[in-house]
Amino acid sequence: MALFEAVHLHKRFGSRVVLEDVSLAFEAGKVSGIMGPNGAGKTTTFNILTGRFAPDRGAIRFEGRDIAGRPPHAIARMGIARSFQLMTLFDESVVVENVMLALPAFRAAQTRVATDVFADKALMDEAREVLALVGLGHRAFQKAKDLSYGERRALEIGVALAADPKILFLDEPTSGLGAEATRSLAALVRRLRERFTIVMIEHDMRFLFELADEISVIHWGQVIAHGTPSELMANKWVRRSALAEVA
Amino acid sequence: MISLSDVPARPGAVITPQIVLFAAVLLTAPFWLPMVGLYQYIGVEVAIWILYALGFNLLFGYAGLHSFGHGAYFGVGAYAFGLFQQEVAVSLWGGLLAAIAAACIAGMVVGAFLSHRRGIYYALMTIAFGQMFWFTAIKAHGVTGGEDGLLGIPRPPADFGIVSFDLSDNTSLFYFVVAVLLVVTIGLWRLVHSPFGRVLQALRQSETRAAFVGIHVWAVKWAVFALSAAIAGLAGGLFSMAQQSAYPDVMSLHQSGFIVMMTLIGGGLVSFWGPVLGVALYFVARDVLGSLTETWLLWYGLMFMIVVMLRPEGLAGAIHLLSERLRAPRARAAGQPAE
Amino acid sequence: MTLLLPHILNGLTLGLLFAMIALGFTLIVGVMETINLAHGSLFALGAYAAATILSPAILGDTAFAAWWGTLPLGTRYALALVVGPAVAALAGIVLELCLRRTYGKAPLYGLLLTFGAALVIEEAIRIAWGSGEQFLQVPAVINGPMFMLGLIYAKYKLFAAGFAILAIFAVWLFLERTPYGAVIKAGAHDSEMVRALGYDIGRLRMLVFALGAGLAGLAGVVMAPIWGLRPHIGIDVVIPAFLIIVVGGVGSFWGAVVSAILVGLAVGISGAYAPAWSMMSMYILLVLVVGLRARGLFGRKSQLEL
Repeated sequence: MALFEAVHLHKRFGSRVVLEDVSLAFEAGKVSGIMGPNGAGKTTTFNILTGRFAPDRGAIRFEGRDIAGRPPHAIARMGIARSFQLMTLFDESVVVENVMLALPAFRAAQTRVATDVFADKALMDEAREVLALVGLGHRAFQKAKDLSYGERRALEIGVALAADPKILFLDEPTSGLGAEATRSLAALVRRLRERFTIVMIEHDMRFLFELADEISVIHWGQVIAHGTPSELMANKWVRRSALAEVA
Repeated sequence: MISLSDVPARPGAVITPQIVLFAAVLLTAPFWLPMVGLYQYIGVEVAIWILYALGFNLLFGYAGLHSFGHGAYFGVGAYAFGLFQQEVAVSLWGGLLAAIAAACIAGMVVGAFLSHRRGIYYALMTIAFGQMFWFTAIKAHGVTGGEDGLLGIPRPPADFGIVSFDLSDNTSLFYFVVAVLLVVTIGLWRLVHSPFGRVLQALRQSETRAAFVGIHVWAVKWAVFALSAAIAGLAGGLFSMAQQSAYPDVMSLHQSGFIVMMTLIGGGLVSFWGPVLGVALYFVARDVLGSLTETWLLWYGLMFMIVVMLRPEGLAGAIHLLSERLRAPRARAAGQPAE
Repeated sequence: MTLLLPHILNGLTLGLLFAMIALGFTLIVGVMETINLAHGSLFALGAYAAATILSPAILGDTAFAAWWGTLPLGTRYALALVVGPAVAALAGIVLELCLRRTYGKAPLYGLLLTFGAALVIEEAIRIAWGSGEQFLQVPAVINGPMFMLGLIYAKYKLFAAGFAILAIFAVWLFLERTPYGAVIKAGAHDSEMVRALGYDIGRLRMLVFALGAGLAGLAGVVMAPIWGLRPHIGIDVVIPAFLIIVVGGVGSFWGAVVSAILVGLAVGISGAYAPAWSMMSMYILLVLVVGLRARGLFGRKSQLEL
C-alpha cells in the first residue's frame, strides 16, 4: 500500500470543476512529481492533499487513515509538511525562528509561557541543524524578509523540513530561480531523498525528469498520464499536450 | 527599524535595563509628580491604563488581532469588582479575582465567536460585541445601575495575612497598582519571548503558514483573546477601585478607540514598550493640553491621523530612529559600518 | 398580527432609512475596500450644515441673516438638501486624500485612519456647533401627523422613507446605467481592470469617496429631523451601517438594501416586545448571520478577509 494516496477526488469552485476524479498514490521513499500546464489543477490538488480545502468527494489516505477534510494543523501534525509556491514565511522573524516554529519539539513546548525560545539550547541546535541542511546556517539571525530570493526558496523548504515530515510536498520549488540556484536546489533534493518521501509540483521539466521516480500529469483537472520519466517521454500524447507547453 | 519579533538583546533575561528604568520611573513618581505640576491621582490612572494597554497590545501588536471593542472587558472587570464588594464581601483579593475571572469568561465566550475570523472582519466583530456589552451595561439597571453606574465602591485594604496596607489614599493605592503592574509587565515580557508568545507573532505574520506548521490557529487566537481580556479586566477592577465607581462609559466605542490610539501612537506595533509611551503621552495631552484648550481631543485625533499616515511605528519607532542616528557618527568614528 | 402591524411598518421605515445610510458606505467598501468609520461623522456633518442653512440665525445679526429668515422654509429646506451633502462630500475628499497614504497597506490602516477622522470631525462639530442637542425644522407640508390604515403616522417619516427609496433607486441607476457605474463595478472587482479600461484609478477613488460621503451627508439631512442632532450621533449611525454591510455581505448593493430592511424589521418588531432592548436585536442578527455564513448573505470574497 502506498504511504499516501488520494482516490477519486472531485472539487468544484462555484460552477467551475477544478478536479475531476483525480487519483494519485505516492510510495514511501520515492520522489513523485506532478506536472501539467498552468491552471490544470496542480496547486488545487496540493491544497486538497494538505488540508487547505476539503474535497467535495473522494478519499485521502495517509498511512491507511482517511484525512480528507481534516484541518491543516491536524494534517501537519501527522507528519505531512508542505512548501508554498507563493512564499509564505514569517517575514519579520529571523531565519532560525522560522524554522524553529515548525519543529515538533517546539510544538510540544508551545503552551509554555515563561521560557525564552532563544535561550533554549536544544531548540536552537535543532533549528540550526535544519538550516545547515538547506545551506542557510550563516543566515540564522537575518530576518526572513532580508534574504535573497533564492535563500527564501531554501528557507521555504527548510520550514517544511523542520517538521521532520514523513512526506514532504514541495509546490514549484524552482519557481523564479536562476540556473545556478536551480542546480543547488537539485543537489539539495538529492540529499533529501535519502531521508524523506517527496512529492513536488514542478514546471521545470529537466529538473523534474532528473529527480523524480515517477510523475503524474494533470490536465483539465484530470490525471492524463502517469509513469516513470522515461515512460512519459515515450508518451506522444503527454509530449504534445503538457510538455510542449512547458518546455 | 525595530519590530516586535526582534531577537531580545539578552535571551532569557528576566529583568532587562528597560524594566529597571520603567520600575524606577514608576516608583519615584510620587516624588516627582508634584514637582512637574501634576497630582498623585494621575499616577494611579496612568499605571492602570498602562496595565490595560500592555495586555491589549499582546492581542493588537503581537498577535495582530485588531480589537476595537476592548473597553468591554475593562468594563466587565470594573463592574465585577464593584459587584463583588457590594454583593459578596468587601475584599481586595476577592474583587480582583472576580474582575479577572469575569472578564476572562466574557473574553472566552466572545473569542469563541471571533476566532475563525481574520483581518477587518475580526475588527468589525469586536466592535459589534463591544457595543453589545456597552448597551447591556446601560440597559441592565438592576445589575449595573444603568447610566449612573455603581457608586460607592470601597477601596479595601491589601491584606497579606500578617500585614495589611490601607489603600484609601492615592499614594498607597498608587504603589499597590504599580506592584501589580510590575508583576504583569515582567510576566508579559517573559510571555512574548516564550514559545507561546512566538506562536502569537507567527499568527500575525501568516496564519496560513502557522496552520501548515501544525499550529492550531483557532485555539491560539481564542486563548490570547481571553488572556488579553483577563488583563483588561484586572485593569478595570483596579480602575473601579480608584474611581470608587464603575460606569458604562469605559465600554463605549470611544474609550475602546482610545486604547487603540494610545497603543498605536506609542509604537505598540513595533515595541513592547510602545503602549507605555502611548498611555503616558495621552494623559499628558489630556491634562496639559486639556488645561490650555477645550479642543485638545481634536488635536489628539489629528495627531493620531498623522501617525497612522506617516509613522505607524509611533513614538517607539521614532525614538529608535533617533538613537540610531545619534549612534551612527560614533560608529563611523570607530571605523564600523553604521546600519 | 394587527397589533404588530405598526411595529412592522416602523421597522420597514427604519430599514429604508438604514439602507440610505448604508448606501454610501457600501459604495466605498466595494471600490476601495476601506471600512469608513467616519461615515457616521460625515452624516452628522451634513446634518449640522443643513441645520445652519435652516436656522434663520445663519450669520448672526447681519442684514443677510434678516433677509435669510424671510425665505420660506421650503426653499431653505431644499437648499439644505444640497448644501449638507456638498459639505460632507468636501470633507470626504479631504479624507480620501489622507487615505492615499494607506493604499497598498493592510486594510487596518484605513480603518484606523477613518476612526481618527471620526473623532476629529466629531470634535470639530462640538467646537463649531456646541455639545447641545439640536433639532431641524421641516416645512409644514411634510410635518405633522397623518392617518393611514387607522394608524397615526408622522408625515415626515413617510417622506423620509420615500426619499430613501428614491435614493436607493438613483444609486442603482447610477451603477447600472452610467459608464461611471460600470467602471465602479469593475473597480469593485479588480483595480487592475480599471487601469486597463483607461480610467485614472486615483480620480475614480476620489469620485467614489465624494459620492459616498455626499450620500452620508444627504442621509444626515433627511434623518436629522427624526433622530435629532448631537455631536456623537456619528457613532450611533456608523454602527448600523457597518453591521448592515457585514450582514449583507461586502460589496453587494442589493445585499446591503435587503439586510438594512432586515435589520430595521428586527429592531421594529423586537420593539414591540422589549422596547428598551430593541437595538440589541441588530447585534444578535449580526452574530447569527455571520456565525452561519461568514461572508454575509450576499457577500463575495474580499481583500478584507485577509
